[in-house]
Amino acid sequence: MANVEITGLHKWYGGGVHAVRGIDLTIPDKQFTVLVGPSGCGKSTLLRMIAGLEQVDDGTIEIGGKIVNDMRPRDRDVAMVFQDYALYPHMTVRNNIGFGLKARKFSPQEIEQRVTNAAEMLAITLLLDRLPRQLSGGQRQRVAIGRAIVRNPKLFLFDEPLSNLDAQLRDEMRVEIKRLHQEIATTIIYVTHDQIEAMTLADWIVLMRDGVIEQQGTPLDLFERPATRFVAGFLGSPRMNFIETRIEQANGTLSLIFDQDRTLPIDASRHAVAQKWIGRNVTLGVRPEHISRSGDNTARSGAGAPLKVLIDLVQPTGTRTYAQFRLNETEVTVELPSHTVEHPGTTIELMVDMSRAILIDPETQNVITE
Amino acid sequence: MERDMQARRKRAGPPPIFRIIFLALFILFVLIPLYWVFVTSIKPSDDYLAVPPVWFPEQPTLVHYTAALFAYHGLTGLINSIVISVSATILSCLVGTLMAYSLARFNTGGPHLSFWVLSQRFLPPIAIILPLFLNYRLVGLQDTHLGLILAYTVFTLPVSVWMMFAYFRQMPRSLEEAALVDGCTRWTAFWRVAVPLAAPGIVAAAVFTFIACWTEFFFAIVLTSRDAFTLPTVFRAFLSFQGAQYGEASALAIVSLVPSIVLGVLVQKHLVRGLTLGALRG
Amino acid sequence: MASSVARTGEIPESGRSGVSARRSDAQFKWLLVTPAVLLILAISIYPLVFSIWILFVNYDFQIPGHAFVGLKNFTQVIFDPVARYSLWVTVGLTVTNVAIEFLLGLVVALAMVKTFRGRGVVISILIVPLFISPVIVGQAWVLILHSPFGPTNYLLSMFVGEEVTIKWLTQWPYNFFALVLADVWQWTPFIFVILLAGLTSIPAHVYEAAELDGVGRWQVFWHITVPYIAPMMLLAVTFRLLDAIRLFDTIFIMTGGGPGTQTYSASYYLYTIGFTQFHLSRATAGAWIFLVLTLLVVVFLVRRLLKPEAN
Repeated sequence: MANVEITGLHKWYGGGVHAVRGIDLTIPDKQFTVLVGPSGCGKSTLLRMIAGLEQVDDGTIEIGGKIVNDMRPRDRDVAMVFQDYALYPHMTVRNNIGFGLKARKFSPQEIEQRVTNAAEMLAITLLLDRLPRQLSGGQRQRVAIGRAIVRNPKLFLFDEPLSNLDAQLRDEMRVEIKRLHQEIATTIIYVTHDQIEAMTLADWIVLMRDGVIEQQGTPLDLFERPATRFVAGFLGSPRMNFIETRIEQANGTLSLIFDQDRTLPIDASRHAVAQKWIGRNVTLGVRPEHISRSGDNTARSGAGAPLKVLIDLVQPTGTRTYAQFRLNETEVTVELPSHTVEHPGTTIELMVDMSRAILIDPETQNVITE
Repeated sequence: MERDMQARRKRAGPPPIFRIIFLALFILFVLIPLYWVFVTSIKPSDDYLAVPPVWFPEQPTLVHYTAALFAYHGLTGLINSIVISVSATILSCLVGTLMAYSLARFNTGGPHLSFWVLSQRFLPPIAIILPLFLNYRLVGLQDTHLGLILAYTVFTLPVSVWMMFAYFRQMPRSLEEAALVDGCTRWTAFWRVAVPLAAPGIVAAAVFTFIACWTEFFFAIVLTSRDAFTLPTVFRAFLSFQGAQYGEASALAIVSLVPSIVLGVLVQKHLVRGLTLGALRG
Repeated sequence: MASSVARTGEIPESGRSGVSARRSDAQFKWLLVTPAVLLILAISIYPLVFSIWILFVNYDFQIPGHAFVGLKNFTQVIFDPVARYSLWVTVGLTVTNVAIEFLLGLVVALAMVKTFRGRGVVISILIVPLFISPVIVGQAWVLILHSPFGPTNYLLSMFVGEEVTIKWLTQWPYNFFALVLADVWQWTPFIFVILLAGLTSIPAHVYEAAELDGVGRWQVFWHITVPYIAPMMLLAVTFRLLDAIRLFDTIFIMTGGGPGTQTYSASYYLYTIGFTQFHLSRATAGAWIFLVLTLLVVVFLVRRLLKPEAN
């Protein structure tokens, strides 16, 4: 029940490490915001600064319109779920969940009432008298969440809460966290390095790199309209293919030039932009799922000639098959329906959906938009 | 499987019989003085001055215990030792835990402060004792319980601080951070989360501190005389008698060594940490 | 749900939220170390500083007044042959004690690495000397070595077939042998415990790999075991060295420094100067010389061994 406003935020660690380098960020009330990025990008530091666990070296953090820079964590009315759950090993589940209320001197009846409600909501009522070491990983995770929601704070902070769980449990908890957000409708800031978590959970993704925000937006916004090569490569699995190439003009059409005389025509809608890049090197970015076998009905835009490639590696997953081929010295992955290609060594023709592909300036690493 | 066995056999060193004999001899070496002290403490006076020595008394007696405790002020020494060692242990562990937590969590004073505390462990007592003695005389702490308690507290601080330091360091920081976010102040997070979790370590540190105070001799003979003398200093009384008081000395030795041995063996899994001030784990 | 966890309770101490978190953290961390620092300052550092004044004045219970005497206190110690002799006794006993304790402790640790039934009990027995006051250790060895009533000479006589009348506590070199014996008895377990911890922490696969490579037993010992536990060896020996140079208690109880001043250690010498002859300023000067010599060892050895980040 609070918005968060971050302005010009900086954090230096001892030894001159500049972990957060000027972050400006507005998080509206009730929004599920995911801070995502590779390890060391400053996302956890940013979260811990919001929690009050790290001091602000420069800039301001406002929660609910109040500057909290010098406020102690306990006075910020935030709750946090830690990566290692941070359950107090010497307290029962009941006391773990109620500890924050006790520390805030709530009445015993009130504590009991709230702990019971939270436990019901998370289906851990039967575990209330156990100690953390008697719980499974998933149960500990629930207790950690219970400890956060029982206080009904202004703001929830999650620091990589699912990274210690195995894959299946992670999927389950992800669903639960999303449902939880719908039920309690509070502002959530969630840190993860996992792009699938980011995509599935977020209302708004803030993608960080080297202490700055690389790009922010809705999940599909970032996925479909990445601003940089880094963003394009970070979101999506398998990763987007990046192929170094060149734009040439022949017979009035603009094409990307590859080895073995292979070319890909650029769709007409981008001619105006591509015109400026004739004769220059660009990086083509195309997702594996936007390449299809020629003649397949899944092929979207049939513009131009198909690309003839020699498949050198096949990875069937059951639902789809990933195949790889070389193009301009780059190993390119393509996602095909099962049984499209059975063996490496097959030569097939592929169609690239150029309307979904991006062109990147190799020097700035920015996506070319105009 | 077979190779594993071979590796094990080879690593095992000399043939087992050789090792068993060596270990048996060494155990004997450790036990003989203890046995001899014990047996002397229950021998009638005629027996321990007998040639050939009496290996085991036919009529064991407890007279030396009563004599040592009452005629040679052993009881006063015992009570003083208990009062002083317990007080110094409580004080040292209380103050030491506070400091260790600060050093472990906030890196207070950088490496200098923690090294400064550690260096106290290696100062030769003779360097401090002379001026300390003079100052104690000036302020009236000479031959008082408080004086020795303070001295023992300080000279055991490196042990308690560094042992607790190692404990707090290995405790996940996130527990206290969770407490801070949950609504604790730094102090309540320390007191209600960190301290209960470190309790086993505090107990172990307390035992080693107690043993150090209980067995200490040098500070005690300088800083105490008639009132606050501790159990080890009572042995001075037996020095000049050329063997006549061996029964009493042995009885007193048994009274003194039993508590510290029992405590020490109880916390032996922390022993390596205690001996190396937390630098090594057992 | 949202309504049942309604925000009824307000934070009771919200009025204090203005306290700067930064400042209160800084206050908190210094507050925690304050009692310990004050105690060390009062009981350890202040006396040392105070003693600097004593170094240059007369402070002697036999000569009244505190007249400035310059470096006389130092010269008296430095030119006292007993002082220099006691320093050599200290060095000699320290090196002998620690060397024997190290070798014996290592061998015992090696013999105890492999588990066997009753190993736990054996370890409990072997560590017992660590928990006994050195005074009592000295007293125990006095009982055993005493001539004529102790069992030692009696047993030796039976062994060699003629009467042995060694005065173990008063006759050179046996009095030194007795002091070494008591020290070795008490402190070999110290080395043993640390080295055993080191040896048992060597992962078995290291030895298995060596075995597969066909490395011999001695080579395994020298090239795998020793380098692996070398840091523990260094640590154990350093701790022992720094404690061994204080040698006092067993001398006090076993030989009383005698015969004459033959078994004076540095600590024992300074103790007699200060507390039986009451030449306090001279003893203080000697203590400072001893302290500086010790500090050199501390700074060079300990600082490298024990970092706060250890473990």
